[in-house]
Amino acid sequence: MSRSGFSRRTFLQGSVGLTVANFVPGTTPFAHAATMEEQTIAAAKAVGKADVNGMIWSPYLVPMKPVIAEFTKETGIGIGAVQDISIFDAPQRAMAEALSHSPQFDFIHIDSNMIPSLASAGYLEPLDEYIKKAGFQLDAVADYGKFMKYGGQTFGVPTDGNVHIQYTRKDLIDNPDNKKRFADKFGVELKVPETWEDNLRLQEFLMDPSKDLYGSGNLRNRANGPTWWYMIFYSAGGFPFDDDMKPTLDTPAGQYAVDLYLQDKKVNHPEAANWGTPQMIPRIAQGHVVSCQYWDGTCKTIANPKQSKTVDQFYFSLVPGSKFTGKMVHRSISSPLAAILINKYSPRKAQAAYLALWLGSGKNSIPIVSDPVNAFNDAWAKEHMKAEPVLKAYTPEGIKAVETNFQVVAPPIYLTGYLEFQDALGKNLSEAYVGQLPGKDVLKKTENEWNAIIGRIGRSKLKNDLASYKAVMPTKAVPT
Amino acid sequence: MGRTGRIGPSGSFSAKNQDMAVDALSTGTTQLSSEARSRSRRLAVRHFKLSLLLPLIALFAFLLMPVLLLQLYFSFHQWTVYLGSWSEADFVGLDLFREVLTDPRFGWAIVRSLAFAISSTLGCFVFGFLLAYLMYKPFRGQAFFYIIFILPMLTVPVVVAYTAEMMLYQSGPINDLISRIIGVDFKPAWLSNPDIALATVALLEIWNWTPFSFIILLAGLSAIPKEPIEAAEILGASRWRIFWEVQLPLLRPVILLALVLRFLEAMAEFPKTWALFQGGPGSATETLPIYIFMTTWQYFQISKGAAMSYIVMLLMIVIVLIAIHLLRREKRSLDQMYEMRAKEAEA
Repeated sequence: MSRSGFSRRTFLQGSVGLTVANFVPGTTPFAHAATMEEQTIAAAKAVGKADVNGMIWSPYLVPMKPVIAEFTKETGIGIGAVQDISIFDAPQRAMAEALSHSPQFDFIHIDSNMIPSLASAGYLEPLDEYIKKAGFQLDAVADYGKFMKYGGQTFGVPTDGNVHIQYTRKDLIDNPDNKKRFADKFGVELKVPETWEDNLRLQEFLMDPSKDLYGSGNLRNRANGPTWWYMIFYSAGGFPFDDDMKPTLDTPAGQYAVDLYLQDKKVNHPEAANWGTPQMIPRIAQGHVVSCQYWDGTCKTIANPKQSKTVDQFYFSLVPGSKFTGKMVHRSISSPLAAILINKYSPRKAQAAYLALWLGSGKNSIPIVSDPVNAFNDAWAKEHMKAEPVLKAYTPEGIKAVETNFQVVAPPIYLTGYLEFQDALGKNLSEAYVGQLPGKDVLKKTENEWNAIIGRIGRSKLKNDLASYKAVMPTKAVPT
Repeated sequence: MGRTGRIGPSGSFSAKNQDMAVDALSTGTTQLSSEARSRSRRLAVRHFKLSLLLPLIALFAFLLMPVLLLQLYFSFHQWTVYLGSWSEADFVGLDLFREVLTDPRFGWAIVRSLAFAISSTLGCFVFGFLLAYLMYKPFRGQAFFYIIFILPMLTVPVVVAYTAEMMLYQSGPINDLISRIIGVDFKPAWLSNPDIALATVALLEIWNWTPFSFIILLAGLSAIPKEPIEAAEILGASRWRIFWEVQLPLLRPVILLALVLRFLEAMAEFPKTWALFQGGPGSATETLPIYIFMTTWQYFQISKGAAMSYIVMLLMIVIVLIAIHLLRREKRSLDQMYEMRAKEAEA
């Protein structure tokens, strides 16, 4: 040390000084800290090369391919055989895999609401160890990251936010003639609806079936209908179970939600009873709908002139809320929330897990969620909310709506037996919607069916699940 | 042995008698060896038949039987997917069968399946028969029409469903076309009205599977002997009378076969109903296959699904046994008719 002109004291003082400076905001660290993505690559390299097999729907996979190719180049881990299966059919297939303890798929891309059922069936690999080794941080907006947790462990990596936002036709509500007529009739201003009742009134007022313009673009089919019902139910202060796992649907909040849900029939297309997304998205984008709550990816479709006749003709905003409890509460929903889950029985589970983490990095997933054509993967990470390609694909207004709705986003039932609970409710709501069941009987009948499900799965087991369900519920009444 | 040599009345063998005895012995030996040959031929035929059946027996023993046994196990044991391994499931005796038989959804699923299967089977039969009747006599360009008529059967049912979905919207091309033809606004909501949703699938089933009935009935019509028809023509019977009193009775076993096979297939229809409706709107299209699928793979009630499948299997076995009985009866009556005709011809 003396030869270089530094005394031992000087060297130590300098070292301490640099260390302190490292922690001062705005100073550049001397040592290059590995990024999350670099750490993921390092951890993946350590587990060896492999081609992982998965179950994933191609509209989700296509925009992931370039990001996966980059990972393959760095680590030798790539995609092998893929079962291209719709996300709506994947739960049944995944459950069959779980029952047979099959190692066929290394990962499955599926609605994260299936996590409790698949974890309970012993199929899922917890990801916490891989997350730790890769230094991974789930950079999700608001509390959305909690949706991946069950029983205190992390089981999934999201690829798709799928939060519902409000779509209201700008050209119709800003039309001076409409504004005047509305004000004359109701004594209030025609604007983006704040409550469910406002929304219904606006839809009724502006719809014109003779021009193929219907008030609502919400889904009312058996498979998707409950998603809309939950938004109203939660915003009215409802929660489907008490602490003893007794169903609490047949309550004033529940009935309020059923009534509003069924009133949609007045303003929706006559064929809505059996319509899903393939029918409804084109109608929204082609300008046949006044307003709706819909998945956020529809922003991208609307903003894409190749797919839409309504570019710049929609307001994107917070979904309506309810003052049923005496104060305004808004609840949006995310379902199906597409996530990558890892098969516990897979011989390549480590490789699959690191690939999932790679795809789940906020930075890496920007091109995935901003693909304007394959619009299935929707923005969910904080980094997405300010990334230029994402803002371009969704429009800044759309991204603001996504961010706002995430603050009050809830899941549907997040319990073991999710599909069973969901279908019982969906069937009864659908029967009421098409007139096969009186609206007042929907909740009583659903409660009876839910009690049978609870008896079969086990009340004590479900009571344990309830903590995970409550943990993913939003705490804010209104987004800030 | 009835033609063996006889000993003469004197009780002694003459030379002639000796020769006869030798002849008789040799004839007996020949007959013995011919019997042995015939026995060995019968044995060879039996072996051949067995060898043909062997793959089927192996398939049943190694593939179907284990599944049936496992299903039987599940239908007597309550297994909840989330609570332990299936081998630890509780024995519940006939509880699951009782649960299924008292489940109103199951009852309605049977009603819907029967309504669907009967209506679509009859539809396939009527259209299949019409086409077969048009086609059974050779004419120029017959092969072309034959190919056209069987094309729907070659279309994958899911493709049929998704294509139909695009065409059957209330304001879609089918309603538009019918409206133009009849000159009245024709707007049934094929896909969303619960009162006609099942009929929509039945119509698609008829479109999809009429060729199946057509092929069977065409083969049956072509195989009818010409003599009775010619005889009826000579006697001056009208075409309608020939059809009603000659062709139709002769075709009865084939008609029955076509109806039974189609009915069994229709009872198991799943892809179109699922792709179009998933049991909805409401529960309008919740047929047996849909309900069993939902119970097993949506609700993961594997045990209840197994019990349901067994009940449906028993129901189908009963239907098949009745059908076999009817087919045998038809065959017997036809055989008797042919025998009588042969005797009359001989006389």
